[in-house]
Amino acid sequence: MKDLQCLPSTALKQNRVLSPAPANPLRNMKLNWLHVLFGLVFIVLTGFMAALIGGLFVYGKGDFLAVLRNPEFRFALVFTLWTSVTATLLAALLAIPSGYILSRRRFPGKALIETLMDIPIVLPPLVSGVALLILMGPVLGEIFTKFSLDVVFTARGVVVAQCFIATPFAIRAFKQGFDSIDPRLEKVARTLGFSQGMVFLKVTLPLAKGCILSGLTMAWARALGEFGATAILAGITRMKTETLSVAIFLNMSIGDIQFAMSVSMIMLLLALFLMSLFKFFTSSEVSL
Amino acid sequence: MSRVLLEVTDLRVKAGGFLLRDINFEMMGDEYLVILGPTGSGKTVLLESLAGLRDIAGGRVCLRGRDITREPPENRNLGFAYQDGLLYNFLTVRENVLFGARARGMAGDPGVIRRMEELVGSMGISHLLDRSPKNLSGGERQRVSLARAILTRPEILLLDEPLSALDPQTRYAMQLLLKEIHSSEGLGIIHVTHDFSETLQLGTRVIIMNNGRMEQAGRPKEVFFYPSTEFSAKFIGMENIIKGLIRKDSQGQRWFAVENGDLNFGPLAEESFRTGQLLRGSDPAILLVRAGNIRLERGGPPAAAVNCWDAVIRNVFYDRTHVDVYCGGKGLWRTNVSFLEWENLGLGEGDRVRLSVRPQDMHVIPGAGYHDVSETGP
Repeated sequence: MKDLQCLPSTALKQNRVLSPAPANPLRNMKLNWLHVLFGLVFIVLTGFMAALIGGLFVYGKGDFLAVLRNPEFRFALVFTLWTSVTATLLAALLAIPSGYILSRRRFPGKALIETLMDIPIVLPPLVSGVALLILMGPVLGEIFTKFSLDVVFTARGVVVAQCFIATPFAIRAFKQGFDSIDPRLEKVARTLGFSQGMVFLKVTLPLAKGCILSGLTMAWARALGEFGATAILAGITRMKTETLSVAIFLNMSIGDIQFAMSVSMIMLLLALFLMSLFKFFTSSEVSL
Repeated sequence: MSRVLLEVTDLRVKAGGFLLRDINFEMMGDEYLVILGPTGSGKTVLLESLAGLRDIAGGRVCLRGRDITREPPENRNLGFAYQDGLLYNFLTVRENVLFGARARGMAGDPGVIRRMEELVGSMGISHLLDRSPKNLSGGERQRVSLARAILTRPEILLLDEPLSALDPQTRYAMQLLLKEIHSSEGLGIIHVTHDFSETLQLGTRVIIMNNGRMEQAGRPKEVFFYPSTEFSAKFIGMENIIKGLIRKDSQGQRWFAVENGDLNFGPLAEESFRTGQLLRGSDPAILLVRAGNIRLERGGPPAAAVNCWDAVIRNVFYDRTHVDVYCGGKGLWRTNVSFLEWENLGLGEGDRVRLSVRPQDMHVIPGAGYHDVSETGP
């Protein structure tokens, strides 16, 4: 301290300049306000989501058990599960080769084809339904009828509509999974004695497993909640093409709020389960 | 003399905008061949082409006389390991090592299991067998990757920069392991690297690659002392690369005259032209001299400017084993001396010195613009 006092005033000034600059209170204030503002928005949004879900539970819990025993609900639940699972598996069969080609090959018009495959994501589901109705009706309808595979206003129509909506989500996820694989891992497997097809099965698919499972979960979630395209292509027929979404619409339209609320609760629980599954798969993705 | 193991003739490979061309070499059964070159010179493309992982646009690859140019990789019986010891994280170390045997449906064969146990024992990775590759160090990963590549007894082991991602200690241990594998397994090894010291330590023969072409091939020491092109000389770290001309005196003896200077080296004996090109009077040429072959002495009376010249010490750098001395005088020259010698000389930066080189330590190669008349005929 004594030494410091002996220093000329200029040196003290220099020393002050060299020492860390004092914190700028105004700058800190701005940062704090920003945090407060963001925090408020975050709290309001969280509260809104909680109220939304809570409201559904409060209003839907009334005769929940009675609705679970309702034959119409049971039909809609089983019908939704089998159509959505079938649609998801079909989507996977279409998306695995498409995602692989888009990830590994370069060809003219690739960007255009990629955009074309993404169309169902941005297209309003009703428009998708109309387009499917035209394709499966006037354009290809006769061929399907010839093989007794009618699509329009049948359960098959539900699967086709769900698959159409779900496939682009699966393609995107699978492509991302294939992109993340170091191609040298596949090359090493070739030199170890695996053929190209075996490399795909033994190396590529296991390495892309995380992205494939998360893609399947997203595709299933989209198929499960599908309404617009299904309504146009397969129609809204009670106990025939009645998915859970269709059941909500039908019962709301005739004023059976309790039934619609209970089904909505079931769908919400399914959505929460699927989102948890998605998060699990994306967080436990295979790392190289 | 061992038989030819691999024969590559006029190999031509297109990889995007890159072209690998005019690749010709033979590899004997007991050789450790190093492919040396800078990044982008085509080393990995060449290695992958030999493994069958790239489409070949032209030429021929024969393994023990059998044409394998169009054979798929799984039918070639060549082992391959990349630089970062790529392992399959969804398998255990044991499953990784046995992966090649699994491809052949032999993963459960008692003979294969015995061989695997012997291999992992000799490589010091037995204790890792039930672990996931995710938790292994770089050296351990590389050992597992090597064990996997040689388990099924390939005829040639192809290694793509296997030591570049390792720390110096692990690298030394891996070099010993590679030497051991080469001698005990009795297989040929082709090792790609950009590090010339690896070439000197491991290789029995080296090919220098530049821009998709073979620049020079030979024994590592031969290439080290007598590079045949300016690129090779620069790449292997030749310290003194001097441009000039070949001159003939009245007795017909050839001399090297330094460009823009009154300094002459010679008379040049035939051994100064070891790379085979016929250099005549007024041909552009490059003189190559290793730093250790330039003699450094205290300055004296003016030098005669023949193989001997005066200079001033510009910079001195202490290395682990010697002292590098940069001297300015008719060009910039690098020489090196031992610590003891440097202490005895008692010199420092700014001191006048005399440099000299013996004719037998001079190596002359054609310079830019040289036209080889022997190729076109009289």
